[in-house]
Amino acid sequence: MGDKHLEELEGEMNTCIRCAYCFEKCPVFSILGWDTDGARGKVVLSYGILTGQLEPSRSIADKLFQCTCCRDCIERCPSNVRITDIISSARADLVASGFANDTHKRVVENIKSTGNIYGDTEVVSPARGGEVPLFIGCQYLARPNKTKKYIMILEKLGIAPRVQEELCCGFPMEILGFRDEFKAHRERFVERFPHKEVIAMCPTCTIFLKEGYGLDSKHVLQVISERIPEANMGLKATFHDPCDFSRGLRLIDEPRNILRKLGVELVEMKDSGAQSACCGGGGGILMSDPALSDRIALKRIMQAVDTGAETLVTSCPTCETVLKKAANTLKELEGRSIVVTSIEDIIWKGLKR
Amino acid sequence: MKLDIEMLKAIVGEENVSDDVADLYVYSSDASVHQAMPSVVVRPGSIEEVQKVMRYANENTVPVVARGAGSGMSGHTVPMDGGMVLDMKRMNSILAIRPEDLLCKVEPGVVNDELNRVLKPYGFFFPPTPSSGNICTIGGMIGANASGNRAVKYGATRDAVLGLKVVLANGDLVNLGSNTRTDASGYQLARLMVGSEGTLGIVVEATLLLSALPKFRAMGVANFDRLEDAGRAISGIMAGGVTPSMLELMDKVAITAVNNALSLGLPDVAAIVVFECDGMVKEAVEHDISRIREICEKNSGSGITVSHDPKEMARIFEGRKKLFPSLSRYGDGLVSTSLADDMAVPVSRIADCVEEIHRVAERNNVVMSAYGHCGSGLIHTKILMDPTKESQWEDAKRAVAEVYEYVHSIGGTTSGEHGIALSKAPSWKKEKHDSLEMMVAIKRALDPKNILNPHKMMDAPDDWTKATALRYNVRRG
Repeated sequence: MGDKHLEELEGEMNTCIRCAYCFEKCPVFSILGWDTDGARGKVVLSYGILTGQLEPSRSIADKLFQCTCCRDCIERCPSNVRITDIISSARADLVASGFANDTHKRVVENIKSTGNIYGDTEVVSPARGGEVPLFIGCQYLARPNKTKKYIMILEKLGIAPRVQEELCCGFPMEILGFRDEFKAHRERFVERFPHKEVIAMCPTCTIFLKEGYGLDSKHVLQVISERIPEANMGLKATFHDPCDFSRGLRLIDEPRNILRKLGVELVEMKDSGAQSACCGGGGGILMSDPALSDRIALKRIMQAVDTGAETLVTSCPTCETVLKKAANTLKELEGRSIVVTSIEDIIWKGLKR
Repeated sequence: MKLDIEMLKAIVGEENVSDDVADLYVYSSDASVHQAMPSVVVRPGSIEEVQKVMRYANENTVPVVARGAGSGMSGHTVPMDGGMVLDMKRMNSILAIRPEDLLCKVEPGVVNDELNRVLKPYGFFFPPTPSSGNICTIGGMIGANASGNRAVKYGATRDAVLGLKVVLANGDLVNLGSNTRTDASGYQLARLMVGSEGTLGIVVEATLLLSALPKFRAMGVANFDRLEDAGRAISGIMAGGVTPSMLELMDKVAITAVNNALSLGLPDVAAIVVFECDGMVKEAVEHDISRIREICEKNSGSGITVSHDPKEMARIFEGRKKLFPSLSRYGDGLVSTSLADDMAVPVSRIADCVEEIHRVAERNNVVMSAYGHCGSGLIHTKILMDPTKESQWEDAKRAVAEVYEYVHSIGGTTSGEHGIALSKAPSWKKEKHDSLEMMVAIKRALDPKNILNPHKMMDAPDDWTKATALRYNVRRG
């Protein structure tokens, strides 16, 4: 038998009838093409670890870490199998068996030692008193200009955010299999951030504050969409739905309503909304397998270029970073490209008009 | 078995050969209950590569199992003798679309729905519509002679295959069939290959018959408080001078499962019949729909609704397509196992058969649903059980044998669309007792070394629970 984490999910793994419907749009399977790469393959490997038919090994760990955790498989699974829970539990068992990825280990060490994923000891928090607790998260703390914009947008719309010194939400520890570390971190986090309600800037933090801590968390765009005034941006754009945003938080109409109100003409990509294709930046593969991440991102940016839009707008800093890189790569390869920008940039420009 | 991995890499490229334990373990199972490890997985990218691989396999007597999406339910792609799994998904090009000849030519790794997406702008489609169309490959459909919801009007895969290119066990390439819908040129070997489950050759190209996309479509749902009324309605429709493009049955177990998994809010009745008509003339479609409604009403169908809204029809269609995987959410700790999954019976005996299936389930301590493409006489059942209990496998074994005994007794056949492979072989061999020798002779003639998907169908063990390891973590009790 494997370690304890997968044991709780034996019934869930038996529920998987291995129909392979999860292959259909799996970003990793669509690039690599082996059955092992799809969600079913990862569930099968997890079952093998649980039953002891498979000894944990580097190659098995590599396969189980080759997942963007984009939730597309969950969206397509007619048996509603908790696939990402199975994969993260298998990762936890592999980490416990000594097969953690070195890059992932460094991220976890960074969180433990500095409270953020980058190991930055000099984070300058835009701390301020206010009425509504705002959780900024590591990704935005590392991008102070974006953070500033979101705060100014909120203030302009009559919301006074309260910002304090932060700790990482701990999601990387959970998803990368470092569950013991997360358990300890969780206590630190609750002590530091004792709120019941929160708005957050990062889609992944928003959903993890809900699922990992039971907080009543809202994404900042949910709040903004209720108050956004009309403007005339005169821009033709396509919206890339971040996975945790559309499939996790089920926020599909909100960003589109904001963009339309600002006078953005929206054109949809082949895969959008809850069926959106992943950018390739999630689940840890950006750190452990950047080449695979690049290939997934390139496929997505091609969908965006095919719409004929001049700009791709998104609402996740990781998606924005990997898609910007992919847009540059596509320009080098094929001479065609698209401008990649964030929704807070568009909102800020719209509010200034 | 010691294989020359380096030689295989030289043929198909290093990145397309794996003997890594992670890959071997994943390729050891499919959607069936079976499990057996191969020694190597090879992903050819061309006909020439398949030929070279087969020459190597034949010379060295290496078992070869071709695999598409691995969604087969009877163990077709489980390599029970080890050897080589040939993953055909890299060969996924649509080679030609010729509406003027009503045909297209494709490689075996093309996915069914993808083919239909490409055909749509031409105004045509490839009619077989398996529920797994979003992932299943044309090669896999040919191997199993798959059909699906619309077979009642458009036929099964065999009816839509005009010609095939096949690599034989010795690596020779043969062209079978033709480019024409009529073909009286000798033995119909292309049709023989369809449904041969990879035991006679490796399909490397298919010429497929296209149908024009219907311009009008309507879908209806009728509820029945008694199963026998639903059965009478179904045979009444088929004998009633109309040809529905879909005629599906769902029993109470299936209704519960699909409601639990997909929250479709279906009514709590003994049976639901879903019907669809399509065509080029609106009035003709409406006529057929009215006629079906009339027949359902006459047989105590209630709550009959008809929709022309594409979104609503898609919602019903998707719900039906996802029924099989939904069964694993039936509840009570029971999960769905792919057993006794696709018998076909004369249409007039559908209700009798479903009643018997429920009786068999009850006396063998399992739950069995019954649903399917009843207009074609096809009934899907799955056995819902606790697969971790050894005793449940004995229960399932008895239930499977009893169900098939009944099916055969009323003139039905073991498999309507999923094929035989391992888990259906014992009962199928009883059904086909007087033609098995003929099939064995064909197999020996085409594959004298018995390397193509060995020990399946005629040659499968008589106890399917022991044919391979079961893929579940079975414990005593």
